[in-house]
Amino acid sequence: MSLTPEQIRADVADALGEDPADIPLDGNLVDHGLDSVRLMTLLERWRRDHGVRADFADLAETPAIEAWAPLLGAA
Amino acid sequence: MTVLTAHRPGPAEAGDGAWLPLTTAQEGMFYAQALDPLSPAQNTAECLVLDGPLDPDAFAAALRRVAGEADALRVRVQDTEQGPRQQVRESVEAPLTVRDLRPAGEEAERRAQEWMRADLATPCDLARDPAFRHALLRVGDRRWLWYQRVHHLVIDGFGHALLVRRTAEVYSALVGGEEPGPRTFRPLADLVAEDAAYRASEEYARDRAHWGAALADRPEAPRLAGRSALPARTFHRRTAHLAPEATQELRALADRLRATWPDLLIAAQALYVSRACRRDDVVLGLPMMGRMGSVALRVPGMVMNVLPLRLTVRPEDSFADLVRQVVLGVRQVRRHQRYRYEDIRRDLGLLSASRGLVGPLVNVMPFDYAVDFAGTPVRAHNLSAGPVDDLTLNIYDRADGRGLRIDHDGNPALYGRADLAAHQERFLHLLDRLARTDPHAPTAVHGIATPAEEALVVEEFNRTARALPPTTLIGPIEAQAARTPQATALVYGSTTLSYAQLDARANRLARHLQTRGAGVGTVVAVSVPRSAELVVALLAVLKTGAAYLPLDPDYPAARLALMLEDAAPVCAVTDHAKRLPASCGTPLVALVDLDETALACYPPVPPARPLTPAHPAYVLYTSGSTGRPKGVVVPHRAIDNRLRWMQHTYPLTHADRVLQKTPSSFDVSVWEFFWPLREGATLVVVEPGGHRDPARLAEVIRHQDITVCHFVPSMLQAFLSGPEAAGCTGLNRVFCSGEALHRETARAFFTALPGVELHNLYGPTEAAVDVSHHALEPDATGPVPIGRPVWNTRLHVLDAAGGPCPPGVPGELHLAGSQLADGYLNRTELTAERFVTAVPDGRQEAHRPPEQRMYRTGDLARWTEEGEVVYLGRTDDQVKLSGQRIELGEIEAALAARAGVTGACAVVREDRPGEQRLVGYVSGDADPAAVRTALAAELPAHMVPSAVVAVAEFPLGPSGKLDRGRLPAPVFTASGGAAGGRRPAGPHEELLTRLFSEVLGVPDVGPEDAFFDLGGTSLLAVRLVTRVRETHGAELTIGSLFEAPTPAALAARLETAAPVSGDALDLLLALRPTGERTPLFALHPAGGLAWCYAGLAARLGPEQPVWGVQARGLADDEPLPGSLLEEAADYAAGIRALQPHGPYRLLGWSVGGVLAHTVAVLLQEAGERVDLLALLDAFPAEQWRARPAPEEGDALTAVLRMAGFERTTERDRDDVLTTLRRAGSPLAGLADRTLARIVDVVPNHARLMREHQHRVFDGDVVFFTAAAPRAETWLTHTAWQPHVTGTITNHDLACTHPRLLRDEHLDAITATLVSRLARLDG
Repeated sequence: MSLTPEQIRADVADALGEDPADIPLDGNLVDHGLDSVRLMTLLERWRRDHGVRADFADLAETPAIEAWAPLLGAA
Repeated sequence: MTVLTAHRPGPAEAGDGAWLPLTTAQEGMFYAQALDPLSPAQNTAECLVLDGPLDPDAFAAALRRVAGEADALRVRVQDTEQGPRQQVRESVEAPLTVRDLRPAGEEAERRAQEWMRADLATPCDLARDPAFRHALLRVGDRRWLWYQRVHHLVIDGFGHALLVRRTAEVYSALVGGEEPGPRTFRPLADLVAEDAAYRASEEYARDRAHWGAALADRPEAPRLAGRSALPARTFHRRTAHLAPEATQELRALADRLRATWPDLLIAAQALYVSRACRRDDVVLGLPMMGRMGSVALRVPGMVMNVLPLRLTVRPEDSFADLVRQVVLGVRQVRRHQRYRYEDIRRDLGLLSASRGLVGPLVNVMPFDYAVDFAGTPVRAHNLSAGPVDDLTLNIYDRADGRGLRIDHDGNPALYGRADLAAHQERFLHLLDRLARTDPHAPTAVHGIATPAEEALVVEEFNRTARALPPTTLIGPIEAQAARTPQATALVYGSTTLSYAQLDARANRLARHLQTRGAGVGTVVAVSVPRSAELVVALLAVLKTGAAYLPLDPDYPAARLALMLEDAAPVCAVTDHAKRLPASCGTPLVALVDLDETALACYPPVPPARPLTPAHPAYVLYTSGSTGRPKGVVVPHRAIDNRLRWMQHTYPLTHADRVLQKTPSSFDVSVWEFFWPLREGATLVVVEPGGHRDPARLAEVIRHQDITVCHFVPSMLQAFLSGPEAAGCTGLNRVFCSGEALHRETARAFFTALPGVELHNLYGPTEAAVDVSHHALEPDATGPVPIGRPVWNTRLHVLDAAGGPCPPGVPGELHLAGSQLADGYLNRTELTAERFVTAVPDGRQEAHRPPEQRMYRTGDLARWTEEGEVVYLGRTDDQVKLSGQRIELGEIEAALAARAGVTGACAVVREDRPGEQRLVGYVSGDADPAAVRTALAAELPAHMVPSAVVAVAEFPLGPSGKLDRGRLPAPVFTASGGAAGGRRPAGPHEELLTRLFSEVLGVPDVGPEDAFFDLGGTSLLAVRLVTRVRETHGAELTIGSLFEAPTPAALAARLETAAPVSGDALDLLLALRPTGERTPLFALHPAGGLAWCYAGLAARLGPEQPVWGVQARGLADDEPLPGSLLEEAADYAAGIRALQPHGPYRLLGWSVGGVLAHTVAVLLQEAGERVDLLALLDAFPAEQWRARPAPEEGDALTAVLRMAGFERTTERDRDDVLTTLRRAGSPLAGLADRTLARIVDVVPNHARLMREHQHRVFDGDVVFFTAAAPRAETWLTHTAWQPHVTGTITNHDLACTHPRLLRDEHLDAITATLVSRLARLDG
């Protein structure tokens, strides 16, 4: 099952301990508490559950859901 | 060994890049390295273990290729006028060492470690050397160690990981015969550009503002070592591994708390640091990789930043709360993570002071090393993560399924290997407990000590249980009296009482007191000055079964009334009926009204009393922080335990004589009074006031054969500074307590009194005098411990959560056991606050000492590894001055209670080293001097501030708290500088005002200024009296200073005490009439007075008598001499009247020198020996003869010069007198007639000088020249040569003639004379 932007948002919110409604699609996730350990955890989960191929640096370079969507096959 | 180098195409500089600025991150590293260019601390290194086959050639090729791809590795750095610049070279030599260590067999790995350690210790110069180095060390057929060292200016932890991944990728491709994929690294120039863009952005300004605000009121950086140190060149490391299961538990807990495992580790370290440093506001340093959302993700470079994480850690909050705080705190930090650590420190003004901002660092490195080299797996081990300023926790998750690795790195200047091991073990234990405990429980349930440490400090160090009979304080004294009735119990002056006599007197008085209501469960006050009667009274009270309440007769009436009202004694024993304030209403038993016959009707045997060890024995008042003194009620059991322990540990015999000198209101007096009487020894009581006077004490100790005595450490220091101390060789033991004993004092003790034991005791009044003890060793070093617990006593050093602190960790000292007081009289709440009890249901809380009741001392302390406690300071505002305990709160309450005072605070200042003074500060319109006077009427003398200073407003720190460090030092102003103040009259006042100035550090002391108003303290009083003794040879007691505290009053005493000194204007002036050595005669200069030699006499010491020789005619109308010869003959006769025969020692300044020479000649002609002739800037007659003699006008100049002034605008006698008075010259204190006479004497001398014919002195001359340039350029000491047979030894002093006898030059003159005199006396 492939990822959707809403699923990405829900997963990110879960990792950050926030309400999905508080996570913007276009904003910098670092400002919301995303760090490398949380990102690696998310990435491992997405690789496992959704067969994602993107690597850490790809996502970390532009930490925003909109930028991630194509990399995660959700665009 | 082979060194492979990268292929170098063409000229070295051909393809090199442009010179770029450093990024701010790199600059930080550049300047850190510049501070210590030879330091290898910035070498970061890893050792990667490759288990499997490896092709070394392909490996070397991979390294070369990666070095070619990673700009940072090829950087050269140079400092330029524009600042440091870097250049990326097209290619560099890639230093690779390949070694096959297999021949070393099992030693191979160790050899490899040694090689790496040695390389890591090699500093790297980035202007010359490559920024990196590789080694491939083969330690087995299928095992290789890849060593990669890179300078921290060009790489960080994330960068290392990028290099390893790429190297693995390239190698794997090469081995597989494929072309490696294209370069993935971005250029270093991108990083530089991004950094420049950030610094120009609005975000930069926002971040700067954020950090400024977040840290404005920051706490001091917490230091596990208790101090900080300069960055070291190396570090100690201790490595631990968290098992995969434990790591998994941690991750699971993190998940439950919606956090990550690094958040948990940060929280755990914050908890540990908070407890170990006793802070609830903790700032940790977080190294951040700083690459999210940045081009730096693809640049192997130096990007890492350290950012402060500030946390509030309270025992009542749960670990879950703390983790949540970390999550939110780190999130906040990340939003501002590009702002550099160095810039934050600069903004806060911490750079120049090289002060710390953060405590330990928690460096989490979750960098992915899950790579392989063509199938050969790799495990990475960090060898150095960069400089360690204090302590760093490096935590690695290598994603290799092997759990977390935790390195504790410590600055070796602060942490030994054992310290690091202890911190690490405690941290791991704490982590383990945190992972297995409900995270919503308060963190107070977690101690930081390991179970082994806990057993050590709670049980092992406190094994003091000892079964004792249930006796009281008084019972053993009565038993002793029955055993040795004829032995001497007490000595006071000429009074001696046997045990039988003392017991009988006390029994009779006790029976009388019983008729006045004294008995078990009551309190009886005792206010009797130190005497035999005081001891009788204390024993009598105890014999009735009542508790005694000592009231110091020196306390002000208001204070005594407060204590009487609070304690409500049934009666008060006093020496006379007026001793206590009439208003207090307590019935008095005045001893003066009770003659022997009045008491004779009582039988001399102990009265019956239903006394048990649980009844109170005494009530002692101590300072109370809320402004009211508090009465500590101590039961018999407690003090009986204390005295039984003391007798066991330091046994007294019948031959011992114990000194009683401590005022009865101070708890040390309890053992002084009663211990010897329980053991058949003799109690020797010193007279009132004697305890303040070291010389008097030494005398008593010697004459009374004292074997045991006590000193407060500051008093011991004063005692040891006097020469008398060394004579007290009859002492066996000396005890110290009451304040911190310094090692230097102990050292001075053993120097003065080798072979005498010195013991440091510690304890508050609330625990029966002393609870711990330490025997001093002569050659020990470091702080003096307060030692181990006494019998049936436990010491607990507890952290903020009440858990035991491991050895070395500071905590609040709690006391438990038999010696605890019952509490504070009539103060239930205060008692409950200080005497803490276990929870009511008896449930034993985890990590709490198993005690029913503990006294919180408020003292900060730590255990040593050996089980002794070291005192570190206070947790509150209590201070100790001369061993007396003072709550600053009480002083502040007293200040604030005065009318017109709107704000008040009190501090102990040490503006001159070793001189502590209590100073009060008030705001409002009250007159500070009046406030101080009012306090003196209310508080005991030791609680009255030396000065009360008015401030317009109190200085506040950034957090709005009072900044005590910015309170102004008190300025003590003496009257001597003020217009209209009286001048010192006569040499005694002159000397005393000078000594007051010297001891107090206050200029211009006038004769009517009181010592204690100018900041005098009791310890300074000791110094003053010692100085007066030294300079005057006069016996002046400390007591007389208290009674006559001004130079004028003291001078009057000295004059009555030493009638030989006579009048200040006599022919012979006794500058120091006593001393063992041959007297020195100092002849007056032109004005005829010899007062100017007082300073010289002072410096020559107590054994050197000094007599001034003064002109006749100053006091009366005797005619002035007609020639210098006539004058000198008169002086020679006067000198011989005092000292009939030689050898004579003579000295003279100016005209005095000429006179001294002539007197010497006359004495020699009379057949006497003169073995010292010292001339102070005195020149023979022929040097003056050609010059006209001065008229009166010149005489006035000479008078001014006598006083040390150059004449400026003074026209006549009146002007001269005005100048002298204004300047406070002692000459101005002379009667006008005398002064007028001096104006005659001066020109007369000038005239006689010119007429004088010198004869020849047979001997040597010591000469002092005032060598500053002068108008009379022709004057030279060589002019004496025709009048002297021996040698003239000249000493040049850089001053003018009038200034020759000023302090700074007198020291030099004295030094020369002292060595000359010492030679003469062999």
